[in-house]
Amino acid sequence: MRILIVEDEKSLADVLKKGLEEEEYAVDVAYNGEDGLFMAENEPYDLIILDIMLPIVDGMTILKKIRKAGIKTPVLMLTAKDTVTDKISGLDSGADDYLTKPFSFEELLARIRALLRRDSWVKTSTIEIGDLVIDMTTREVKRGGKVILLSPKEYALLEYMAINKNKVLSRTSLTEHLYDYDFDLDSNVIDVFINRLRNKIDRGFDKKLIHTVRGAGYILKE
Amino acid sequence: MLSSIKAKIIIFYLIVLFVSLSVLGISLYFGLKKIVYNSIDSSLQSKAEALATLIKEDEEEMDFKFSDEIMWEYSSPKSKSYFQIRRFNGTTIEKSASLKNSELPFKPEKDITFYTIYLNGSPVRLINFPLHNIIIQCAEDMQKEINLLKSYKIHLSLSIFALMVISALGGFLIAKKALNPVKEISATIDRISETNLSERVNIKDIPDELKQLATSFNRTFDRLEKAFNRQKQFIADASHELKTPLSVILTQGEVVLRRQRSAEEYEKAIKTIIATAKMMSQIVQKLLVLARLNTDKIELKFENIDLAEITRESVKLLKPLAEQKSIKINISGDEKPTVFGDKALLLELFTNLIDNAVKYNVSQGEINILFKEEKDFVVTEIRDTGIGIPEKDLDKVFERFYRVDNVCAKEVGGLGLGLSICKEIVNLHGGKIEIKSRIGEGTTVSVYLKKDITLD
Repeated sequence: MRILIVEDEKSLADVLKKGLEEEEYAVDVAYNGEDGLFMAENEPYDLIILDIMLPIVDGMTILKKIRKAGIKTPVLMLTAKDTVTDKISGLDSGADDYLTKPFSFEELLARIRALLRRDSWVKTSTIEIGDLVIDMTTREVKRGGKVILLSPKEYALLEYMAINKNKVLSRTSLTEHLYDYDFDLDSNVIDVFINRLRNKIDRGFDKKLIHTVRGAGYILKE
Repeated sequence: MLSSIKAKIIIFYLIVLFVSLSVLGISLYFGLKKIVYNSIDSSLQSKAEALATLIKEDEEEMDFKFSDEIMWEYSSPKSKSYFQIRRFNGTTIEKSASLKNSELPFKPEKDITFYTIYLNGSPVRLINFPLHNIIIQCAEDMQKEINLLKSYKIHLSLSIFALMVISALGGFLIAKKALNPVKEISATIDRISETNLSERVNIKDIPDELKQLATSFNRTFDRLEKAFNRQKQFIADASHELKTPLSVILTQGEVVLRRQRSAEEYEKAIKTIIATAKMMSQIVQKLLVLARLNTDKIELKFENIDLAEITRESVKLLKPLAEQKSIKINISGDEKPTVFGDKALLLELFTNLIDNAVKYNVSQGEINILFKEEKDFVVTEIRDTGIGIPEKDLDKVFERFYRVDNVCAKEVGGLGLGLSICKEIVNLHGGKIEIKSRIGEGTTVSVYLKKDITLD
């Protein structure tokens, strides 16, 4: 899952990026509204964390512009403004959720998880595909009742494929949602991770869950 | 009760009304009394004159032969008309039958006089009509007239009383109606509280006499509302400014504690937290300075102050910062520019201004401080070679928490409070502060402070 943080307070943006990256989200940061707007319009983010008071272009304007451009990415407003009017105008401008500063990082994580599953078919924190069970809160993966240990990046890939189960996902789209802006898209790193996942999830089971679609990408299905 | 305007108005007005009605009543009563008495008196006098003519004719004999016609009026014992004719020594020559055994009271007077006397318990009007050596006394019962006057008196008193009652009621209603707007004004004022400071007394429906009061109230509330809103805005801004660094501290702490980390990572996190906490404490400190400057209770110690000395002290404080950026600071102009002011505040003022000139300067830049005199003021010009302030932001830089909207300003870490503090300090000194700037060339701040008063 790839997240964009638009926040002008550098120390806050940086610590958020660090914390979210440790949760295996791919994170990009924009320190002003102009960059934020450009990145939101040009990169396929799964979630945008947006401050309202920003230099150059303010958060409200960014929000209105990206919604007008038809970008439906969930937006979590993050701001020090806490009056009801501020909240209402934020939500009316197309924000999906609202968190006022100072906030708890745990709460931010919970809200990010809730927003990420809002528009998908996943409504709880567990996804079941056949006998494969993924708990997105504890990041525990089981198949046939047996716990499977995954590296953070392997988990992130599996989770993203599980959320988009039965859909063909191209290498590019997988890379874009799992890595941040600085990542080289030509890399064949996805193939490496798919291979590792197959070894951990499908090996020893008759029914394979990860399939290759020739010329298109990969798919996770029963 | 007596402290109420309504009661005072009514009581005063009733007293005035009572006095005037009483005067009217008394004059009416005595007027009527005079008319009644005059008519009795003139009829008595004509009777006495009639008797006198009869007597004159028979003066020689002193014999009274009154015709039956005349006597008829007086002869009946039941008649209420009387006469008695005496000599000056008081001996009776003749008296009417109606007098029976009683006598009319006698005074030997030489003029025509009238008396009211009581004869057998009834009020009687009497005339003494002297004629040569005799006195003709005529009298007539006046019970009817007295009764008339009595009932007239009662009637008048009752009318006055009724008028007083009606007027009291009317007065009460009028006073109440007249004072209604006052009640409305006070009800409106009662309703105005912290939460609805915007409500005002409706001036349209208020009588002219109270309009001035209502207008003053409204003006006072306007001022209060403005002050209150400024305060509210200040608190909102302050809390807003404190929330972001607080988020940094919280998130930094939470993130670093989520897993086991190396000593370096902990150190880095703690350093960020400390730096942020320091920034917060600076904000809080500046806010306190501003809040203190804004209260009327601030104690100012005004004295003659050498601005050059203050400036040198400020420069000394900022030297490490200026040296980091290799900025040169020059002081020139008047040798001993002396102003009348509070030393601590002026030090705060110049430290803030020079601090800005350093912070927003380019490295190897310059700061030129120039003192000059202009009429009653000492003008201090602080000119830097810094990044400058965009034209559109120039009027706003003195507002609290206003920061010029560019990345560079953010990196410098300005709090947006320094210039508002400067402005407050200059205002407290009765001076003014002006700012001119050109992007890329630098900013000039001119501070006008009142000259040393001993020079005047």
